[in-house]
Amino acid sequence: MGKMNGVSVHLSRRTVLGGAAALAAPALLGRAAWADERCVVGTWGGDYARLLRENIDDPILKKQGVEVVQTVADETPRVAQVFAQKALPRGTLDIACVGAPNGYRMAAAGLLETLDETKVPNLKHVIPVLHNGAFMPDQFVPHIYSVQGIAYNPKTVQTPPKSWTDLLDPKWKGKVGMLATAGTWIMQGAALAVGGNPDDFDKAKEYLLKLNANGLRVYAETDDMAPAFKSGEIEVGVVWLARTVMWQNADFPVAGLVPEEGAIIYISGMVMPKNAPDKQAAYKYMNALLEPSAQQGFAAHMGYIPTVNDADLTGKTAQQLALPENAKLVQSDYAKVAALTPELNDWWLKNILRK
Amino acid sequence: MNEAGRDRLAATTLLAPATVLAVLMLLAPLALLARYSLNKFDPTELMIAALTLQNYTRFFSDPYYLGVLVTTVRVTAIVTAACLLIGVPMAWRLARTQSRWKSAFVVALILPLFIGSVTRTAGWMILFSRGGMIDIASRAILGVQGLDLMYTETAVILGIISINLPFTILTLQSVFEGIDPRLEEAAASMGAAPGARFRRVIMPLAMPGVLIAGALCFILSMNAFATPLLLGGPRFQMMGPLLYWEFSNNNNWPFAGVLAFVLMGTTLGLTALANVAVPRRYRPA
Repeated sequence: MGKMNGVSVHLSRRTVLGGAAALAAPALLGRAAWADERCVVGTWGGDYARLLRENIDDPILKKQGVEVVQTVADETPRVAQVFAQKALPRGTLDIACVGAPNGYRMAAAGLLETLDETKVPNLKHVIPVLHNGAFMPDQFVPHIYSVQGIAYNPKTVQTPPKSWTDLLDPKWKGKVGMLATAGTWIMQGAALAVGGNPDDFDKAKEYLLKLNANGLRVYAETDDMAPAFKSGEIEVGVVWLARTVMWQNADFPVAGLVPEEGAIIYISGMVMPKNAPDKQAAYKYMNALLEPSAQQGFAAHMGYIPTVNDADLTGKTAQQLALPENAKLVQSDYAKVAALTPELNDWWLKNILRK
Repeated sequence: MNEAGRDRLAATTLLAPATVLAVLMLLAPLALLARYSLNKFDPTELMIAALTLQNYTRFFSDPYYLGVLVTTVRVTAIVTAACLLIGVPMAWRLARTQSRWKSAFVVALILPLFIGSVTRTAGWMILFSRGGMIDIASRAILGVQGLDLMYTETAVILGIISINLPFTILTLQSVFEGIDPRLEEAAASMGAAPGARFRRVIMPLAMPGVLIAGALCFILSMNAFATPLLLGGPRFQMMGPLLYWEFSNNNNWPFAGVLAFVLMGTTLGLTALANVAVPRRYRPA
């Protein structure tokens, strides 16, 4: 097996080199005159990339002489890229932005640097719910997080459903919406709600079949759900609460709550591959992303919650992101989910998405 | 060197860059993908080098995936038939018209191609969706509970037809333009009615071109991605979106590779079959 793995890496490495070379093109052009170091960050594009520039790259790292170069791609190819570069002494990314499940996969495959806490002093501020063994926050630094909640249209729904079980009520027939690509997350949320444990997938499947029979509506993109709330196509749904905040700010009639049974959390973070070309710059980046000002900037614009205890929120943002004090927030069992993802996705595709 | 030799050399010289480019840009990635499709997939280690046909076995032994392939072929067959049925008369009329508006008609035909297929599909979404134009119109006129076309196979078929029709008509028009109008006049002089002229003279001559237009439409539809994704919704599966699902949700390159090859193989196979199914004299040269 070990030998096969070696071959596999070799094979994929060659194939990715072309793409990696293209992604690393900025790195070949030479640093900006003012910069002493360069940090190559693999990230999503759009608002997230812009907010990284506005809250981390320009205000914090520029002063420290670090030039940040973003290489924009979707998460899946980024993860494949780091896997494929496993055997290279020098990879192309200093920082890769990934969700916790992929962060776990990379950590388990031995691809990630375990951070030296003295070089990331802000790590001590990471809140307790975002600690997870040796993996988090020492290999995977949580950047923002959100809670899987129940969304509803406050204009039409007088008494919103308080739990997943409430969603089965026949009065919501054809009025519940979920995201088609979030199968594994929804199954975990359902498992937590009806089985008391985020990996009780048998119970979750039983529950979801009932929900599907009650006319569950699924959407290809999360943002397709906002107009569906507005048009009355759905009245309730399960989404990351960060989305409800963004929709509120865009004047869509949506409110969110944490289900009574507890909720799964989604954590987006950053990892440093072991073969990062400039680790010192990457360390500075890791510390910067946890700075209170950077965290507050993201909270105000993305609706995700800060991951540190020293980034106090004020005004409307504080109000929108406040969680009930006794809310039961649970992290995924990443190891189990990593192993089961294809199976869970397959079940979701064939049983829920099938007409 | 004789003249034939010089011609051959010139042809080789002219073809070489295109051939090299095609090999590098098309065949090399395909070969790589073919190799991937024989690898093993592991949820935590992703791709593991191997030589196994298990991914192919998985596809052909699972009714779900075969069902998706059948849906893809069914949608494509309907789209191709509709494009030819609508396209042939329109293209023929366009080719034969003496109107001074002819170029305006052609521009009107090409105009939709200036808009990307995703943008056009977004237009269809506005038309089809709940509270959209068709929905409101059906409520106002028929007084029925709105007509929910969004996320149906019908919506996907209409969407793909709208994208493929201009290609079909343009291809057919140039075919009809190439048929000498005097042949029709000759047929008419011998007493053939307009229907018979079209059936007995024009269509046999146009057949090779019709086959090419059909094949073009067929290939475009088999590989449709944006339209089934946006108009069909998450519960409607065709091969293109399924392939992307496998790649993006499971990071399963080997199986995504298999889906790509099955799709390509089916497309090529059925196109070739259509070619063989018609009498030799009607086939494209």
